[in-house]
Amino acid sequence: MPEHDNETKLTDADRLVLSAVMDLIVPAVDELPGAGEMGLAEAAEEFAGKEVKYGVSLGRVMEALSLEPSARAEGGFAALDEEQRVAALQVLEANIPGYFDDFVDLVYIVYYSDERVHKRIGWRSGPLQPLGWEMPAWDPAVLETVSKRKPFWRKV
Amino acid sequence: MTITHPSTDILILGSGASGAAVAWRLSKSDFKVVCLEQGRWIKPEEYPNEHADWEIQARTNWAYDPNVRSLDVDYPINVDESPIDPLMFNAVGGSTIHWTAHTPRFHPSDFRVKTLDGVADDWPITYEDVEPYYDAYDELMGCSGINGDPANPPRKERPMPPLPIGPDGERMARAFDRLGWHWWPSDSYVNSIPYRGRQACNNCGNTGFGCSRGAKGQTDVAIWPEAIANGVELRTDSRVFRIETDADGRTTGASYYDADGEENFQPAKGVVLAMNGIGSPRIMLNSASDAYPDGLCNSSGLLGKNLMFHPYAMVSGLFDDGLKTYKGALANIILCQEFYETDPNKDFVRGYSYQVARSSGPVSTACGYMFGRVPWGADHHSEFGRRFGDVTVLGVIGEDLPEEHNRVELDPELTDSNGIPAPRVYYKLSSNSRKQLDDAIENAETALHEAGAVEVLATQLLKVAGWHLMGTARMGDDPKSSVVNRWGQAHDADNIFVVDGSVFVTSAAVNPTPTIGALALRTAAYIDRERADLKS
Ligand SMILES: Cc1cc2nc3c(=O)[nH]c(=O)nc-3n(C[C@H](O)[C@H](O)[C@H](O)COP(=O)(O)OP(=O)(O)OC[C@H]3O[C@@H](n4cnc5c(N)ncnc54)[C@H](O)[C@@H]3O)c2cc1C
Ligand code: SF4
Repeated sequence: MPEHDNETKLTDADRLVLSAVMDLIVPAVDELPGAGEMGLAEAAEEFAGKEVKYGVSLGRVMEALSLEPSARAEGGFAALDEEQRVAALQVLEANIPGYFDDFVDLVYIVYYSDERVHKRIGWRSGPLQPLGWEMPAWDPAVLETVSKRKPFWRKV
Repeated sequence: MTITHPSTDILILGSGASGAAVAWRLSKSDFKVVCLEQGRWIKPEEYPNEHADWEIQARTNWAYDPNVRSLDVDYPINVDESPIDPLMFNAVGGSTIHWTAHTPRFHPSDFRVKTLDGVADDWPITYEDVEPYYDAYDELMGCSGINGDPANPPRKERPMPPLPIGPDGERMARAFDRLGWHWWPSDSYVNSIPYRGRQACNNCGNTGFGCSRGAKGQTDVAIWPEAIANGVELRTDSRVFRIETDADGRTTGASYYDADGEENFQPAKGVVLAMNGIGSPRIMLNSASDAYPDGLCNSSGLLGKNLMFHPYAMVSGLFDDGLKTYKGALANIILCQEFYETDPNKDFVRGYSYQVARSSGPVSTACGYMFGRVPWGADHHSEFGRRFGDVTVLGVIGEDLPEEHNRVELDPELTDSNGIPAPRVYYKLSSNSRKQLDDAIENAETALHEAGAVEVLATQLLKVAGWHLMGTARMGDDPKSSVVNRWGQAHDADNIFVVDGSVFVTSAAVNPTPTIGALALRTAAYIDRERADLKS
């Protein structure tokens, strides 16, 4: 059973469940496997250990999942088929929406910080500086229409 | 044992948008000036935009909300009774480290809402009184923009040309043109060209979390270096807990904790409060004494009251033309003031502006800052693909009218890391503001559809949006209905001044900081001109 304070500690079994859950949150696409299979459960656990809000949400979601009736059947969450797993997560989403949303954010944070994902979506990884971005220069011609308008601020 | 420092002439509390302006102005005359700042200097390499995990930092140790950041230097704020969270940054530069530097001015009518529309109060000063100081603050901080805006009075040439508005700005501008609505390139304290030794913006997009290039008008880079070179002492890690007064109620200086938690006293002939619209009333309320049983200079009973925020609605348009609009300063594109003034055909008074903002990076997109959280599961990738880089936001800034029940108090239990009572905020959205926002949302939907948005999503009231803190020590000519006079000088003590957003009588429908800076420069000019008695 995971502790759900800032020190969220998962067992190896929890980690397998977390990984499977992450695959459902962000499934495989193109050449990329799902978020769990990409090995991001460890990053999620590490980040959750540093940030209280995400630590608490991870703990609550893992705990709720372990109590969710379908996941308590023999073999636990791992033994469910995909449809049943999604249904189990939907129950959590309805029952503990705040924690579940934070947990989804946690998965998105680690997934969309990964360079493999950046490559797929066409995003330049790394810091924004010093490169910044190129933009077309300021063009005063865009003002043509609005400049014709008579001044209309309210006189005092 | 209290450490007592040699006396100074003017003691400024807070080094943000207003404190820096006063320090700079007084550094040009022969006042001895000390500024106490609870935060520290931030080095360029510390800013999130220098790090690969910039989007994560924006949600954690660099979050807008001090209650989320929870750094030792921050003070907590009890927001249980507020639908809006106050936002601020505590460091040299104050909240100008975080701000997006969108810098419109008040309109002349904003100073006269009682006369014109029969609501709230008129200011004791006019647009014309403030105008020269607007120009001076624009020059100091570095304003990019262009003359000719038909919604505002003519004014002095901006020091720099406008920032590029980008393809997303142009798309929106064309829609406003077709609707016959006003728009104009945003005035921004962001360098469109190199300015006074600071680099030009290179469009990285992360304006709201500190600019490591020095391209944004943050007072730590735009003002403090010159003020310090002129002789001002800026003392960091110095957290003020009390403004001291004598039996007559005049100030003798301020007490603060240093980095080691030691108590210090800085004597001064005059004190200028610049800790923002929450921080200043907090410390004034914490400075109750025999002379001021209800808080410093609070004979009016209005200290901490009339808190105004600019309740903020966000209307986001999703486009399918693949423009990838995360390039360029986040919220410095164009401004629409078509609905700025009271319209007698509507069921609310005063009006609003639209500030156009653009998309951000992948984490923000997925977590839904601009367009709701992307759904998890089977549809995740297709939805993410639709939204990433393809959102344009119309932010609604409506004029928030002052109401006494909206207020800052001291929390009876919550404290900061030094044990100083934390503020507690009470705020209720007025029905006038709600109607304004509803009208603005409807019009924004029209504009976004006109621009080609395939889907529009409205956030009725953004919670993490208390970036403008105003009204809690309002100015006026009558000591019964205001805390400070037209010069920002307390009615109750002639050597105590307030220069931050606390002094606002009304909030207008624009971002407040050029007005805060201009009023601070005006108060400093007054001290320089009229208060030789505060000079040693
Ligand atoms: C995310 C964000 C975006 C914004 N965007 C815009 C924008 O686009 N345009 C605009 O006009 N405005 C914007 N603002 C608002 C703008 O930043 C503020 O209006 C402005 O900085 C206020 O100036 P100030 O001097 O009153 O206070 P601040 O700049 O907040 O400075 C107050 C200083 O006082 C210090 N202080 C507080 N208490 C103590 C104490 N007890 N002892 C010692 N020091 C203390 C703080 O550490 C801080 O440095 C934004 C704000 C935020 C947070
Ligand atoms: S967009 Fe420009 S001003 Fe903003 S952080 Fe990047 S370089 Fe600095």
